[in-house]
Amino acid sequence: MTQAAKKKTSMTKRIVSIVLFALSAVLIITSIAGFVIRGMDSTAAKLNEMRTSAVVHVASGGLVDGIAAEANAAKLKELRALPNFRSMGMDEVKALCAEAEAAARAEAEALYSDVSGVDADALVGKIDALESALTEYNELSAAQKAAYAELYTSVYESVADWTDFVGESDDEALFAALTELVPGLGEAENTIYKDSFVKLARDLAAVELEKENAELYEQLFSAVTAAVADWSSLSEIADDEALWAKLVELTPELNGQDAVREQLLTDVKAQIAAAASGEVTTEAEAETEEAVEETATETVVDYGYFVESEAVAASGAVADAAFDDLWAELVKVIPDLDGLDKKTKNSIQETMMTVVSSGSLDFSTRYDIYVAQKADSVLSGGTAFQIKLAANAGMYLIAGIALLLLTLVYTFWKPLTRKLGVPRTIITLFFIYLCLAAEIYNISVSLMLGNVLVRVGMYGILALAMLPGIQCGIGLNMGMTLGCIAGLLSTVISLQYDMTGAGALIFSCVLGALIAIPLGWAYSLLLNRTKGDEMTISTYVGFSFVSLMCIGWMLLPFNNTKIIWLLRGRGLRVTHSLLGSFAHLLDNFLAFKIFGVEIPTGLLLFFLLCCFLMWLFSRSKAGIAMSAAGSNPRFAEASGINVDRMRTLGTILSTMIAAIGIVVYSQAFGYAQLYTAPRQLGFIAASAILIGGATVSKAKVSHVIIGVFLFEGVLALGQQIANAAVAGGGLSEVMRIMISNGIILYALTQSGGASRD
Amino acid sequence: MTNRNIGKTVTDNLKKYAVTYLFIAISVLFIIVSGLDMNYVCSQLLLRLNRNAFIVLALIIPIIAGMGINFAITIGAMAAQIGLLLTINWKITGFTGILVAAAITLPLALFFGFLIGKLLNKMKGQETIGSLILGYFANGAYQLLFLFIFGSIIPLNDNVTIVGSSGVQNTLNLTGSTGLYMAVDGILQVPFMISLYVLCAAIILWSVVKYLRKKTSVHKMVTSIAIAAVIAIVFSIPAISNIFNGANGGRKITVPVVTWIFVLLLCVFNTFIMKTRLGQKFRAVGQNRTVANSSGINVDRTRVIAIMISTVLAGWGQILFMQSDGIGTFQTYAAHEQVGLYAGAAILVGGASIDRATNLQALIGTFLFHSLFITAQSAASNLFGDAAVGEYFRAFLSYGVIALALVLYAWRGAQQRKADSLRLESDNNAKAAKKK
Repeated sequence: MTQAAKKKTSMTKRIVSIVLFALSAVLIITSIAGFVIRGMDSTAAKLNEMRTSAVVHVASGGLVDGIAAEANAAKLKELRALPNFRSMGMDEVKALCAEAEAAARAEAEALYSDVSGVDADALVGKIDALESALTEYNELSAAQKAAYAELYTSVYESVADWTDFVGESDDEALFAALTELVPGLGEAENTIYKDSFVKLARDLAAVELEKENAELYEQLFSAVTAAVADWSSLSEIADDEALWAKLVELTPELNGQDAVREQLLTDVKAQIAAAASGEVTTEAEAETEEAVEETATETVVDYGYFVESEAVAASGAVADAAFDDLWAELVKVIPDLDGLDKKTKNSIQETMMTVVSSGSLDFSTRYDIYVAQKADSVLSGGTAFQIKLAANAGMYLIAGIALLLLTLVYTFWKPLTRKLGVPRTIITLFFIYLCLAAEIYNISVSLMLGNVLVRVGMYGILALAMLPGIQCGIGLNMGMTLGCIAGLLSTVISLQYDMTGAGALIFSCVLGALIAIPLGWAYSLLLNRTKGDEMTISTYVGFSFVSLMCIGWMLLPFNNTKIIWLLRGRGLRVTHSLLGSFAHLLDNFLAFKIFGVEIPTGLLLFFLLCCFLMWLFSRSKAGIAMSAAGSNPRFAEASGINVDRMRTLGTILSTMIAAIGIVVYSQAFGYAQLYTAPRQLGFIAASAILIGGATVSKAKVSHVIIGVFLFEGVLALGQQIANAAVAGGGLSEVMRIMISNGIILYALTQSGGASRD
Repeated sequence: MTNRNIGKTVTDNLKKYAVTYLFIAISVLFIIVSGLDMNYVCSQLLLRLNRNAFIVLALIIPIIAGMGINFAITIGAMAAQIGLLLTINWKITGFTGILVAAAITLPLALFFGFLIGKLLNKMKGQETIGSLILGYFANGAYQLLFLFIFGSIIPLNDNVTIVGSSGVQNTLNLTGSTGLYMAVDGILQVPFMISLYVLCAAIILWSVVKYLRKKTSVHKMVTSIAIAAVIAIVFSIPAISNIFNGANGGRKITVPVVTWIFVLLLCVFNTFIMKTRLGQKFRAVGQNRTVANSSGINVDRTRVIAIMISTVLAGWGQILFMQSDGIGTFQTYAAHEQVGLYAGAAILVGGASIDRATNLQALIGTFLFHSLFITAQSAASNLFGDAAVGEYFRAFLSYGVIALALVLYAWRGAQQRKADSLRLESDNNAKAAKKK
């Protein structure tokens, strides 16, 4: 580029920056003006005026709706009476009815929509009365609901296996059993829930039982499918008895499973028929990858079992009476309201409740509610603009800040990316953007922060496991899944011997780390012989080991009935609830709440302790030697360091930390997941540390902490926002896949490249 | 040839094809242990061979160009699935539908292949892992496209979208009115024995013609004629031919000729392209990038072309896979996931390695890999009394064989490097000694 051209681009850039800065400044100043308007007394008065108007509009609008609906129904009736009704098309009928409705609506609107002659003062008193009644009711009801939610959660979580309640027909005994688990249930104020919780226990027990049965059936059916290679060979057996006998002969598991006989026979016959007619029996060819589950961390409270207490019901009655007063006042203004039917009146009441009880809400929400009821007609031009500005001030502020950030990034792109790297800049920006978006979507930030903190503790140690791998020179240790499996194995062993509490947690961590030592050692021997291709090899060795252990989980001689498949009599289940064991033990240790944020103190302390130990180690003689061997093997060799031994040390350390990491992860998650679940953990850990600023050859403890916070923060916030923005979910999973793999790809492009040419 | 030489050739061969021999042994063992009917095994095997061969063959060119196992063929499969989705959306049926899908796949796969190639050029030496992770990444983009962009931003017909929401349905039916099921397989089905005889006759004819045009020696001609004749005769033995005719119960096995013609055409293409200038470039780049570069080859461009070809072929292979006998449904969000894994494992089982592969290895590998796939479940249920073990054993085999091949390759490379550096050192020492 020539000097002149360079100058020109820098000039353009400067101008664009200035324009952007000016724009964001305008937005922010506008929003500040809006906030100032919000604070003025006259604005508050205007808003209250709007509320009164909205109330009247709700009434008149409801009346118009009622009249229109009536006209529609009347027209339909009239059409039905016509002799040629049957020959008319559905669309034609609809069109005619709609026409009649529109005509009636126009007429009614002309009559009622002009409510300017209303005596506002009388109404205001009634509205205020209703508001205070509603406020009281809402407060009481919310308090009771919160207490109920807490109770529900503790009941739901303290029962490990609902099927225990199957067959318990006595209500009293069932409730006593529940009370034994959750002492709070026995308190006097909670007796009103007795029937509800008994019903809940029965319902959940039925659901669980059905799930278990379905699982059993699926296993049986797949066993039959495997035993019968060719369905057409069974086609000659016409008799049910003979077919059943044949199936039992082929699959011994069927012995004594008469309960499923009918269903199984039906399904088998369908298969035989399909095979005979040469139809396609769709094969489950692709083994679907099981994504790491992110659900089930939060118990969803079911309010279907909620009953109002007497006090709350009484205050509800007061609110109803206040509404009736208001209604009487409104009837004075619009006499025709009196003739409305019950249904329309109820719907008007509901809308009016939201309008009236809005007093304590924030400015812009109130404004939106009133505008939806056409209450802006009371405002004249100038004031309308002011109020609108005040209502949208928050939006302007967020837009202004976002624009300001973008401008800053645009202006300082080069120094920023030089310091942080492109992906980290993007992720940080994305994080800030998500925080702003959370504000727009009204997502509670404190709840989110608590969520993020738990996830930081949950994944932190797993990400830490990447650190010694990178430092000792084997790069991203995707084979850390070996350590994860060691940790899972020790967790399952603790379950096998019914260990509970802190003992179980410590046992799992220690035993897991011990099992990880020989595994890591053997694995490092392999990696030392395949220098240069460690990442590819560790990925596939990890994958293979996970699949190998899938067979292991099936065949290992565990026999505690709580953890094995009941039907087979052996083989571990996929998901093990740790609720009776050490679930959330660390999370709840010294946990406290500040500004509504739940801090999982124990979990975070443990994570930071591990980080600190790792930092100490990297300062020790062995740690320095290990880093030297990783960063420059030739130089290290020349200065007398045994590079292979250092790589072995790093690999073993990484595997051991991974084993502890998965135990901590499981306790925070509440479940230990076996089989294919640990397969992708290496990728998650790798993306976290890379986002923190590590490369495949260089990493520090700070990278782990920053990375886990950013990565999990983006995921947790993103999940909530994606769910709020797009119905159906799935978007957050897409985001996770793309961020996680994208950052690893980026790291690869930085490391490999032309370096070998 | 002395005895010692033969001995050395045998050990070399054993070393080189260790994975293949291991798999042959396990396959034979599994077929025996599983106790499955031979008719069933053979028909399934043929079905799977014809279904998967095309995709596995698509891996060859990147391997020769020194880019390792191109796990990013999943992206080719995704391109094909976009093509298939649009075909179903437009309600184009039958062979025309397949052609339309293939035509849509072509530009998409070329474009994706271009991007993949560009990216892989930035991570030379790490292509295998890079393409794997790129496949995962693309899976995210694919889901974004199918869940949130199709049906809302890009409008689709009701027959493919989720009712009452945006996004494409989980499974699309290929049978019935969609009319894509067996649209290629079903064109011409010939009994196995007849097609085998025709194939043998063709081989004999071909070698005679080749000899008459003085392209081979008598020795080679006689060998190939003998092999063809022996195959024909062995399969004519009643005990064997009955398996394929379905004489002892079971189905009469037929061969979807058109699909096989496509597979054979791809084999010819793979052989032919190696004889062109482009093929020479692939080979040169694969052997040594520095040397290739200094002899005036644009290394990066050659590698991008190799990946582009591979991606397009994988896409077409996925179309052949989806239409084939016994599939019938299009698992919108899962059909592409295991494509790279199974194809990569298959070609490695056949004796290919990270830097060399042939058509024959691809075909043998597909054959062996799927023979294990078919028998694993029954064999495991007979050995361990549990069918689910077989399911996991399959997964272990797929990943394990790739891991094993990668380790063996890296191991050999490390040994090579060590030997090279030792030789260099001793040379230097010798030179130094001479100087003295």
